[in-house]
Amino acid sequence: MSMRRVAVVGAGMTKFVRRSQETGRELSWEAVSKALESCEMSLDQMDCVVMGSAPDAFDGVHMKAEWLSDGAGAWGKPYMRGYVGGGTGVFAPAQGWYHIASGLFDTCLVVCEERMSPTQPHPQAAFNSIFDNFTERALGPNLLWIFALEMNAYMNRYGLKKEDIALVSVKNKRNAADHPASLLGDPNITVQDVLNSEVLAWPVQRLDVSPITDGAVALVLAAEPVARRVTPKPVWIEGVGWCLDTAYWTNRDLSYPTYVEEAARMAYKMAGIKEPRKEIHIAEPYDPFDYKELHHLEGLMLFGKGQAPEATARGVTQRTGDLPVCPSGGLLGVGNPIAAAGLMKIAELFWQLRGEAGKRQVPGDPRRGVAQAWGDLMQVGTVVVMGK
Amino acid sequence: MSLLNNLEHPTDARIWRGDLPVYHRYTAGVAGEKFLRALKDQGAVYGTRCPTCGYVYVPARLYCERDATHLDDSTWAPVGPAGALVSFSAVWVDLDGKRLDAPQWVGLVRLKGASSVLMHYLQTPTGALHAGMTVQAVLKPANERVGSITDIAYFKPL
Repeated sequence: MSMRRVAVVGAGMTKFVRRSQETGRELSWEAVSKALESCEMSLDQMDCVVMGSAPDAFDGVHMKAEWLSDGAGAWGKPYMRGYVGGGTGVFAPAQGWYHIASGLFDTCLVVCEERMSPTQPHPQAAFNSIFDNFTERALGPNLLWIFALEMNAYMNRYGLKKEDIALVSVKNKRNAADHPASLLGDPNITVQDVLNSEVLAWPVQRLDVSPITDGAVALVLAAEPVARRVTPKPVWIEGVGWCLDTAYWTNRDLSYPTYVEEAARMAYKMAGIKEPRKEIHIAEPYDPFDYKELHHLEGLMLFGKGQAPEATARGVTQRTGDLPVCPSGGLLGVGNPIAAAGLMKIAELFWQLRGEAGKRQVPGDPRRGVAQAWGDLMQVGTVVVMGK
Repeated sequence: MSLLNNLEHPTDARIWRGDLPVYHRYTAGVAGEKFLRALKDQGAVYGTRCPTCGYVYVPARLYCERDATHLDDSTWAPVGPAGALVSFSAVWVDLDGKRLDAPQWVGLVRLKGASSVLMHYLQTPTGALHAGMTVQAVLKPANERVGSITDIAYFKPL
């Protein structure tokens, strides 16, 4: 394959909040403005725009990418929306990447927006119809059923205790205390706090879960010649991958995300990575639930099956550890405006690899990172590898 | 061949009924909030003029979609209440396709001073309408205004 090199040259995000006064359009514009400002580029220098946003039902606007387009800076430009549910935030930069890698465009503005707060009585209700009519909807399920059953399957398979998993939530919420845009950063949270929080659907408790959030994130992508003109510190998109498992979620291996492994293999091959644990210095796996970070670290082949909890307990995944994981604070700490949360992970790698992450900066001059998201009917894995 | 092709009574086919049990709380936004308050409290329609490209947005917006310029407080100014009729129609069916007893008149109006165009109700005309003619916003009385675009009751031809 002959494809052009593509770099991230700018990034911006809004604060992640429980309910924003800004409309989704206004949030999108704010993220776009900050991203353009960060690389001193203007909207007319953007050749095309990619919008990532999860279910229309959240904003309550059908075809919401069209509605969001003015805030995203899409007026008069080639524009498309990508949508793979929760996986969208890491898929959108992959779309931006192939817009440029293909030679079609030299620059691309990638914008991800989510407002969950408009959905009443609870965003859960918007998911009611994703369940199979034949076998599941009659039972009145909500998403927590899937997560509780999957988490318990993972715990049973490897003999894990709640304490082993709660460590992830504690790490990420503490990391998020250093993120200026975070919703749930807490420097003092403990494992006991997580274990004492209310049970939602055993074994899932309140502090095992990321919050309902509003926010937006934007990136500026550029082809190599443009990137080198714009910044001395481009961060390259070295590999992208995505993969879908069966929609019959009950038939999957609930203790191992094979679809994440397949997506990672695609991205690693493109990036020339043969030993991910040695060649990747920072990971931002998708962590809407604490057990999912562990699940996904294993799917990304950064730890063996069932071994991520033990590495977490040893401090390997701390910001100062051997493989920092979610130094941003992740979805559990920064917040989870679905598509925007995934793109926040790409922005975090951008800032970390440029040495611009401030108090969150991972020590030791990290050179390569991986971000991953998960979504659709809990069956899609999306992966992006970035390096400097 | 689908089952329904051969069914004498289509309701005999097994179906599930369902709906999406959601409703929404839409946020007016930073600019929208200010626009609607001015409409309700002052009876004024505000626009924002982009200092970069000169486009005047009505209702007022926080940013210019053409160049991403921030439209701050200094860009706000009242427009109208008169404007030019851009297009119009008499609507004879409702949302469910039911025939109306009398038509609902609607139009597109470019308020004086605005670049953008607003859709709204028109007063039932007594004479012929034509594109380019002057129409004027008729507001509801102050005590009936709630902070909605329908605080403008309709536009009447002048």
